[in-house]
Amino acid sequence: MSLLDDPRSHALDSTADAITTGARSRGWTRLATWPWSLRVGVALLGTVLLVLLLTPWLAPYDPAAQDLTNRLTAPGGEHVLGTDHLGRDVLSRLMHGGRFSVSVAALTLAISAVAGTLLGIVCARVRGAFDELVMRVADVLLAFPEMVVAMMLVAILGAGQGTLIVALVIAGWTPFARLARGLAIEINARDFVEAAECLGFSRRFIVLRHLLPNALGPLMAHASLRFGHKLITVGALSYLGLGVQPPDSDWGSMLAEGQPYMTRSPGLVVFPGLAIFVTALAVTLISQGIDVRRRRQG
Amino acid sequence: MRRALVLVITLLSVSFLVFMIPYITPGDPVRKILRARTGDLDLDPEAVERLRVAYGLDRPLHEQYLDWLGRALTGDLGLSFTSRADVAGMLGSALGVTATLAVAALLFALLVALPLGSIAAIRRGRPADTIITTVTQAFVAIPEYWMAPVLVLVFALRLGALPSAGWDDPRYMILPCLTLALRPMSYFTQVTRASMIDVLESPHIVAARSRGLSFGVAMVRHGVRNAILPVVTLFSVWLAGLLGGSVVVEVIFSIPGMGRLLYTAVVNSDTPVLQAAVVCIVGLTIIITTLTDVLYAVINPTVRSANVAA
Repeated sequence: MSLLDDPRSHALDSTADAITTGARSRGWTRLATWPWSLRVGVALLGTVLLVLLLTPWLAPYDPAAQDLTNRLTAPGGEHVLGTDHLGRDVLSRLMHGGRFSVSVAALTLAISAVAGTLLGIVCARVRGAFDELVMRVADVLLAFPEMVVAMMLVAILGAGQGTLIVALVIAGWTPFARLARGLAIEINARDFVEAAECLGFSRRFIVLRHLLPNALGPLMAHASLRFGHKLITVGALSYLGLGVQPPDSDWGSMLAEGQPYMTRSPGLVVFPGLAIFVTALAVTLISQGIDVRRRRQG
Repeated sequence: MRRALVLVITLLSVSFLVFMIPYITPGDPVRKILRARTGDLDLDPEAVERLRVAYGLDRPLHEQYLDWLGRALTGDLGLSFTSRADVAGMLGSALGVTATLAVAALLFALLVALPLGSIAAIRRGRPADTIITTVTQAFVAIPEYWMAPVLVLVFALRLGALPSAGWDDPRYMILPCLTLALRPMSYFTQVTRASMIDVLESPHIVAARSRGLSFGVAMVRHGVRNAILPVVTLFSVWLAGLLGGSVVVEVIFSIPGMGRLLYTAVVNSDTPVLQAAVVCIVGLTIIITTLTDVLYAVINPTVRSANVAA
């Protein structure tokens, strides 16, 4: 595997030491040992998730309720973050839209991770023609920028939430498959797997008992690295009108809707973007923190 | 040789995938052509059949594919459904615009990232390093479709210093380049930092320093090449990535490049343009990546074997 395969993932280069530190990663509960980036990241992400989870109870207004006499009001007063061009409460819309953005990003990431990991592990165990086929397909997909995949799928399936998820999964499973395959091949060659094979344990047992637990750490690190990117891409497609369709809205579509009015109400653009930034930043900080922590221990 | 074979197979499979777009979408391709052109919903069935024969769409699929591929290879990419302009011409001019934009943005990113990454490496573990690393890593979390409107709001609408959209003189490039440069800047800085640290700790630099060479001289004579190599590789990866990855920025700033071409083709169901744009982007991505791999091995064979293991 060369540097070019996936230069954006730090997870790949540290595969080997990640496997060895996997066993040592207890003591996660000791907050005092966390680097500051991990603490800040977890706090930020925790807050965002908590707010989104409690949105039905926390949101001050109905996100779709229009009030045409109160259009484009400034932040402060009755509407904490102001109102948009239809007089809808920006804060409530942010909270409801965030549920959509974050859940779509998380869902696509989960599907990509699970599907990619399983394929990768199967490839590593079976090898031969199946392995070759899957890896060549991954090679082809690697040449497709995510946006191009999404555009093609929109052309084929039409715009919408389903298309968005399918497109991001098609573009997203390959790094997981490669990473899982590499890890599985490495773990496969180690003594405890050989021992289990000699003892006559089934393939499924070896995969579940030895491969998955040992590969999980690096795979999770990679997943957390991708989440921010996914969130931004989901927003980009909605911003372009190719993702979520009205009357639903997410952070990306809110930003697009607010843009024509941004001279008068900059908040309509600033707040949704800030929400994406803070959430993506939180995840970036977490993966950075995990990295720092692993290096300290390693 | 094996490389070239993989390249050809990949390109062929991509072209077939793209060729199939109008056939796997619901609806009859002939009717879609007519609808895109006339916007008419009640089409004369006879006209539809006449067009089907005229365009050869009644022939078996593999014949149509080979025909399409043959013509594409000779540079005949057909006409746009909507504007009826020559697709090859549209593609050519769009590619030029996007390439200019991407190279300018990446050069700007490098210009900032190389010094920042070097400083971080030299001051490793000190406050300067922490600040640089944290701030540039935060750049990755900034969505382009947020950065761009905010820049427009401040520099175009409030200050009136720069144009808000369009593609004319170099001033039009500043805001889009700034937006596009943020994310690569972050990765370039991190890679520069990492490779600089490697170089600073490498035996030949330590040896050169212990021979009494000053830090600067030691770096220039022995270090810079190794330090910059990974960054150069990353540069070309990003160049390939931005060919299809600048959709959002091009749409926001109305820049007539590949990204906007792709976007308008999707919105208008302009299949010939969509097909040509996708094949072009993917083909160029593969070619650039392969060339980089080869070049990398030529420049530094030792690094190559080291990276294969990674």
